[in-house]
Amino acid sequence: MNPLELTLGIMTAVGGFVDISELVFAAQAGSIFGYALIWAFAFSTIGIMAFGEMAGRVAAVANQPVFNLMRHRLGLKLGLVTLFASLLSTLVTCAAEIGGLGLILHYLTGAPYLLMSVVSTAVVMASMWVLPFKWIERVYGLLGLLMLVFAAALVAIHPPWDKVLGGFVPQVPSSLSTKQLLQFGYFGVAILSAVMFPYEAYFYSSGGMEEKWGPKDLLTNRVTTTVGFVLGSLLAIAILASSAQLFGPALVGPEEPGTTALEAAIPFGRAGLLIALLGMLMAVAGAAVETCMANAYAISQFFGWEWGRHKKPWDAPRFTIAWIAFMLLALAIVLTGADVMTLVEYAVLFSIIVLPLTYLPLMLLAGDKGYMGQYANKWLAKGLGWTYFVIVCLAAAAAIPLYLLTSGGQA
Amino acid sequence: MRCLLLTALLVAACSKGPDADLPAIGEARSLAAEWALVNEQAAAGHVTPTYARTMRAKLREQLQTSLGSLTQPKSEYGNEVRSLLAASGDASPEQLRAHTRALKRIEDSLESA
Repeated sequence: MNPLELTLGIMTAVGGFVDISELVFAAQAGSIFGYALIWAFAFSTIGIMAFGEMAGRVAAVANQPVFNLMRHRLGLKLGLVTLFASLLSTLVTCAAEIGGLGLILHYLTGAPYLLMSVVSTAVVMASMWVLPFKWIERVYGLLGLLMLVFAAALVAIHPPWDKVLGGFVPQVPSSLSTKQLLQFGYFGVAILSAVMFPYEAYFYSSGGMEEKWGPKDLLTNRVTTTVGFVLGSLLAIAILASSAQLFGPALVGPEEPGTTALEAAIPFGRAGLLIALLGMLMAVAGAAVETCMANAYAISQFFGWEWGRHKKPWDAPRFTIAWIAFMLLALAIVLTGADVMTLVEYAVLFSIIVLPLTYLPLMLLAGDKGYMGQYANKWLAKGLGWTYFVIVCLAAAAAIPLYLLTSGGQA
Repeated sequence: MRCLLLTALLVAACSKGPDADLPAIGEARSLAAEWALVNEQAAAGHVTPTYARTMRAKLREQLQTSLGSLTQPKSEYGNEVRSLLAASGDASPEQLRAHTRALKRIEDSLESA
């Protein structure tokens, strides 16, 4: 295990953890419910750690990407349904990220939002074309570390640390009305979905294969998914806690993604604002890349096409066309004038429905000794896998009723 | 159970009046509070002029959407949102917070009714 590679992998995981949905839901959850939903982030992070580790292990040992497994485990018909649902949910997520990029650049430059969406898409696509896979991941992940300003901002505003720590204990505030309870439930489901987005498993496992992981890389996989994801999750929790401290008492929602950047502006002034906006820009750009490529991986693996960014674009032509087409489709959704916050809500809603179909085949294969031999799931991975699978199924069943009953988490 | 859920969903989807307007009132209250916070930070020199200008424009745009989504625009809360929209971009945080409090009071009274 190369320590430099490992450190870079962890830092990339930290910087790449937060996306537009987490930015939005962390800030809103903090302002509405104070510190009471911190545990939802912590709990969901254990879930993505468990499934992320499985996805990386399967890629390293069985040399199987997630969507290849799905087709074999679910059969062609259910596999096609899962493929279609995943493509749709990840496409909407990608559109939300591109809209988020346009908005952040709009706050930074003042140029029209839609023009900035087009410009950012062009830059992201150029980077995907030019950079090798490892550097695509690292450039955005490492620059996303500018988001650490949110952790520094939390320390600077001196929050009540006992309440922040108390938020890690699973709880439902006792003073909530029925409406607020439903809203609390909606936010819990949305946070679970935003942290455990299915595209993360597709991208992570395909990335392992791009980098030609083998059993020797299992420790790197384990450390990256545990340390990297935990530290990344702490960033989202810092955003939530700052929001509870600064926005809740001021009756701020927040309804605009740009408001979140004020968390760093209040203690650090203009420098804090600019670092926060640039960090958000890089983190969201990284998520746009991941969602777009995750869709290209999914469709290519399902139909058995040549795939991978380690190949020249013309050596995997259908894969190349797929990622370009998905990015342009996502941009087209943004150009219709769709509201970014609405796209974020649809992204988490569609994704939670797809989650059980994504994680069940992955868990079954990771536990199959025929494929995995001595690296098959042990008691901890099995226990966590099944626990989270049941929770994800319950959340998927509750998502649409909660969305309708709370008007998208508003009341 | 399924019937109850369907009924609840139908009621949620078809309701009109102050109760149906609660999400838009809450949204307008939050937008007013965000506007006040942006102006406060702008006055302290903590944000760039571009950020303050674009945020104000976005918040105003969303307030307009909230007003348009009200089923009873000629109500007390409708008037409050219109009065908020009439404020200048660089209105004082105190003025904007007065609107925030007024909308919060309406929101609370409708919720408890």
